[in-house]
Amino acid sequence: MSGMDLDEHLAAIQSGDPVAFGRWIASTEPTLRLTLRSFAAVVDVEAILQETLLRVWQVAPRFLPDGEPNSLFRLTVRMARNLAVSELRRGGAHRLQELTDERADAIPALTVNPPDPLLRRRIEKCQNELPTKPGMALRARLASDGTEPDDVLAARLSMRVNTFLQNVTRARRLLEECLSLHGVDLTGELP
Amino acid sequence: MSPPPLTPEDVLLVEAATSAFRSTDREGLTFHPAWYDLPPDGRYAAFDATVKSRKLESALDPEGLSSTARAVLGRIGHTG
Repeated sequence: MSGMDLDEHLAAIQSGDPVAFGRWIASTEPTLRLTLRSFAAVVDVEAILQETLLRVWQVAPRFLPDGEPNSLFRLTVRMARNLAVSELRRGGAHRLQELTDERADAIPALTVNPPDPLLRRRIEKCQNELPTKPGMALRARLASDGTEPDDVLAARLSMRVNTFLQNVTRARRLLEECLSLHGVDLTGELP
Repeated sequence: MSPPPLTPEDVLLVEAATSAFRSTDREGLTFHPAWYDLPPDGRYAAFDATVKSRKLESALDPEGLSSTARAVLGRIGHTG
């Protein structure tokens, strides 16, 4: 779904409403992440993305929209690219020119996929068909919400970290195969 | 010419790097240790696996939030 103006959340975000910020992130994160793919070999995009979102939350109260749709998103894309370039400079970049040329590209159109209850049920069904240990490992990863490292999750399941990672990898592969049999493709936006 | 397939060790590093957990230092969030050990092709593989994973997570979440979103909200003190 494109053509939405996610600045509708801006006033609430600026007043410090984390629920509104969560809604805004849910809508912008996929497109924001894809804009950073060209940096994937030279920076850890996940860290850049989270750090950018934390900074956006901090600067949002002082942000003045330019009157065009999705102004906060456009600011965020610029901040994310600038942060990626800063990290690249810190690490002694060889491909800086190539990547900064790409920075000059237009801000991408925002594509928002609203929640799909049918897709959710299909994923849950495929998840329930996973073998025990891969299923446990994947569920632990999903439930952790990025707040715990894998060694903690593995220890909770009485697994070694490598065994845990092997189980998560296997679970993902089986889940993708199951979803693919039902016409669901998770690779949609990837080049 | 397509890149060589990832080694079994790299496959585990890719999986490790798809986690949304990132620790912090004085300057902010740090890169995942597994990311440093990956070759360039492995880093792209980790990026692509993360895209798929976040799609799965947000599809399963009642509020459409991925683990990235949840991690960020957790850091600003919202655990909703």
